[in-house]
Amino acid sequence: MKLKTFFLFCILCFTGMTLSGQERIILLNEGNWQADNGKITYFVNDAVVSNQWFRDVNKQKLGDTPNDIIQVNPNLIAISVNWSNIIQFIDTDGRAVAATEDVPNNRKLATDGTHVYVSSYGHECATVSGFKYFTKGFVAKIDISTFKVVDAVEVGYEPEGIAYYNGYLFVANTGGYAFQEDHEYETTVTVLDAATLRTVRTIDTGQINLYGKLSQSGRYLCINSPGDYYDVPAATIILDCDAAIAGLNDRDCFVKLDYAATYSCTAADGSFYAIGSRYSYYTGEYTFNYVSIDPRRVMESGGAEGVGDNIPGSVIADIQKMGMPYGIYVNPYTGYIYGTDAGSFAAAGALYQWTPDGKLLGKHKVYINPAHFLALPPDGMEFNGVEPVTDTHCPPSAIYNLQGIRVTHPLPGQLYISNGKKFIYNHQ
Amino acid sequence: MNCSAIRLWRLFAAALISLSCSTGVSASVSETADSTLLLTEVHVTATRRPLATAQTLAGADLRALSSTTIADALKYFAGVQIKDYGGLGGLKTINVRSLGSQHVGVYIDGIRLTNAQNGTVDLGKFSLSTLESVELYNANKLDRCQSPTEYASGATVYLQTRRPQTDSLSVLAAAGSFHTYRARATAEFNRRGWSGFIDAEYLNSKGDYPFRYKSEYEDTVGRRRNSDIEFFRTEAALFKNGFASHFYLYRSERGCPGGIVRRLSDKYTNIGREWDTDMFLQGSYTHRFNSSHQVKFNLKYTHEYLRYFTDYPENQNTARVDNHYWQNDAYASAAYVWNATKWLWLNAGYDFRASWLDADLKKFSPIRRHDQKAVLAMQFHYSGFRVAASVLYQHYRDYTSLNVGAADPLNRTTPSVTLGYTLNDLSLRAWYKCIFRVPTLNDLYYTQSGNRNLKPEYTRQWNIGAEYHLTPANWLLSAQADIYLNHIDNRIVCLPLRGTYTWSMMNYGKTFCRGLNSTLSAAVTMNRWRLSLLTSFTWQRDLNRTDPEDEDTYNKPICYAPTFSCGVTAIAEWRFLSLTVSNLYVSSRMWSYADPEDRLTPYNNVDIKLTGQLRHWMLSAEVNDLFDVQYEHIPRYPMPGRNVKLSLTYSF
Repeated sequence: MKLKTFFLFCILCFTGMTLSGQERIILLNEGNWQADNGKITYFVNDAVVSNQWFRDVNKQKLGDTPNDIIQVNPNLIAISVNWSNIIQFIDTDGRAVAATEDVPNNRKLATDGTHVYVSSYGHECATVSGFKYFTKGFVAKIDISTFKVVDAVEVGYEPEGIAYYNGYLFVANTGGYAFQEDHEYETTVTVLDAATLRTVRTIDTGQINLYGKLSQSGRYLCINSPGDYYDVPAATIILDCDAAIAGLNDRDCFVKLDYAATYSCTAADGSFYAIGSRYSYYTGEYTFNYVSIDPRRVMESGGAEGVGDNIPGSVIADIQKMGMPYGIYVNPYTGYIYGTDAGSFAAAGALYQWTPDGKLLGKHKVYINPAHFLALPPDGMEFNGVEPVTDTHCPPSAIYNLQGIRVTHPLPGQLYISNGKKFIYNHQ
Repeated sequence: MNCSAIRLWRLFAAALISLSCSTGVSASVSETADSTLLLTEVHVTATRRPLATAQTLAGADLRALSSTTIADALKYFAGVQIKDYGGLGGLKTINVRSLGSQHVGVYIDGIRLTNAQNGTVDLGKFSLSTLESVELYNANKLDRCQSPTEYASGATVYLQTRRPQTDSLSVLAAAGSFHTYRARATAEFNRRGWSGFIDAEYLNSKGDYPFRYKSEYEDTVGRRRNSDIEFFRTEAALFKNGFASHFYLYRSERGCPGGIVRRLSDKYTNIGREWDTDMFLQGSYTHRFNSSHQVKFNLKYTHEYLRYFTDYPENQNTARVDNHYWQNDAYASAAYVWNATKWLWLNAGYDFRASWLDADLKKFSPIRRHDQKAVLAMQFHYSGFRVAASVLYQHYRDYTSLNVGAADPLNRTTPSVTLGYTLNDLSLRAWYKCIFRVPTLNDLYYTQSGNRNLKPEYTRQWNIGAEYHLTPANWLLSAQADIYLNHIDNRIVCLPLRGTYTWSMMNYGKTFCRGLNSTLSAAVTMNRWRLSLLTSFTWQRDLNRTDPEDEDTYNKPICYAPTFSCGVTAIAEWRFLSLTVSNLYVSSRMWSYADPEDRLTPYNNVDIKLTGQLRHWMLSAEVNDLFDVQYEHIPRYPMPGRNVKLSLTYSF
């Protein structure tokens, strides 16, 4: 971890750049429901650049209740704005690129670099081949060369978390409307072939309501279940994607842990941090947990091993002091740790920043309900989210060398500027 | 109506109000009455020199306002904030001195309108057409023969039903902006001591008003959708001396629009639809045995049905909900007053209410609540000095087979004291009241948010005030000012639970408010002219005292509370014409602490109404929000801008 930072530092020194772009964090503040005040915080290094970044850049509002954010390729970011029914695409400078409302009640996002996959609680979807209607929820596939939905497929009721792994999509179904609608909670993870959107299999975890943030670490997923707050307590499902693809029995694809992962993230060493509480309306009691989960050991031991308290430094102690912890994140490029506190919900929330070894660097005032993070690559580093992007799907913007001369044939491994941003060209 | 008739009418109304509480009787409570005591003569002082802090709109002034619902009338009172989600169908609640709407009791002829489920009264469901007066009492009214419920709220609104004087029939047809049509028929009679009326009204409004949001980051222009309402209301009343009864039936269907948020098109808009059936039947009987004993009995049955449904496919954003709620409520009370001496009376009362709530929610089973109250009150007066004091005991117990179990029974006793001194035209007063609101059934038991361990939300109010009346021959002048202080503890709010994805009702929050309410009214009669002016002024500072550690919120003004507001209404009447101009100003309000931009802009609303009367016909034209000011009570719930109403009434 420290080595990585040191290594990065060396690269930066080498290329003669300042540290000004070391930490670049985009944070979605959900705002209040139906108040149209979802806002983006843009945080660089150790300070908030803006708590209304989207408004500043685009002179327009983002919408109501932004719910997820992912980077699709070096220049493109997708944001699901749930109550506005909008998938908003921006570039890495925050400029609005496109927006679509073809996926109403959108929830979470995943990408393979050429398409964005969206889970939705809704029942209809406008695709290029006309409207599709679903009894349950669905997953839509958006082509980022056209920003149109090219296909959509029904999964379980109220699908929430979605992850892309090796050509497959893993969709956690919640059935979360069960407390009002005429169906039960879901207990399944749907596995889709990303290319065809066919359902490959459905894994029954036996645990209801697979709701909330889903974290991914290579082949492993960390899926939260809050239970129903009455008879079924919260739990965490660790799922092995390779096992699922290989066709192992359902029970060999996952392990259920008796912890809540209300807020989870993938740590720099590939483990998961899971924070949450198991609450019961019967007793009104909480059981809080702050755990680190090594998914490989958990899978190998069937849950007997692999859960520890390896969250570094003062992170846990600081979170315990928060009014209302609302999100945790580790910058995948640098290992810096972030957490948010929603405080009193009518006032501004706070963003906490820790070093990779858990030393609290600062607390920053953001906006209401700060919840969802995305780290942009630091200066000199390339977006490493997915496989390389091909030209046909993402027509590159004009590329300039550091002297400002336009280059038509950039060389791999060299530093260039595009869209006002430095990057290392690594196209094969 | 000429002015002497108006005066007579008012006098009569005043007499009625006092009569309804001073015609004798005895009580069902365990107090034993001493039947040999003397009659006291009080009701003149009670009405002309009110001890309580009160504001009244009655008779001609009430009719001259451009108002459709009682919310429109109440907004002109000092210390009142109306919360309105916009449009005719939008929920309208009243908040007095920032206590919160659930601390305001609304009473029709002295009997409270209740909703055990959520504790709030939608003022939009009540019409002014059957009312003689609307009164607001801070703390409570201080009449002689009151039921315990009348002491049980932090502020009380009294709606006094009109008692017809003659036989008459009137028919009204009205049309207004945004496809609004209304028809009403009222038949009144008065024979052999019996009087009564039947009043029926139908309204249909599309409510598609235009709105605009213009700021640095948007220029959103649109028309409100799913804001339609259709209702049918029937009321009937029957009176004879100490007997009064009232029947009310209201059925409606309405759209419940959501906040205006960023959307790429109008494709998905709706939130839901609501159907209501509200019915009540109430009766009260007051009897005076002799000069010193008087009793009053109240009986009421209420039935409420609500269906909430989310439209599909226009609404893709929420669960497909189709929930039904049923509430039944039976209420009985007995009150007794003993005029012990010329300078002292004692009031005792007991009431019992049983409420049933059922709903087809998951994990829900019916709940029954028994609510018992008893009060002991006294009033003492000597020369210009007056003292009123009361002690209220309340007991609540719930029964349910819900898995979470019923809340523990609640027993509380709360006091209130008022001191007054009157010298000629000037009255001074000081009062203190401590009262709580009990958690509603929703607060305690609602699926996935109810918390049966909630404590009651307490308010303590202190007030000093002065009132001055001048009533020479052709004019009158009255002014009052009150300075108040109140504390609210254990606010009942819905908050997310730490480390989960769920919410729960909790006791969280303290508020400290200071304020000044004042009103000034004047009327002059000259030849065929009558001019009157009604003004109210409110200044208040409501501070959040919840968390001393939180510098962003502690000692900051509470959200939605304006620092000051003021209303001015001028009425000019000449022969058969009447012109009313009103202006309401409300200063800016924060709606979150997160950003100084999270604030609702101040607004100024000017309404005009012109009425002409010729023989049996009356034509009335009104323009509300004359300057088309765009404003909101709740962020992103726009209020209608300028709108016009025309109505024609035929009566004989």
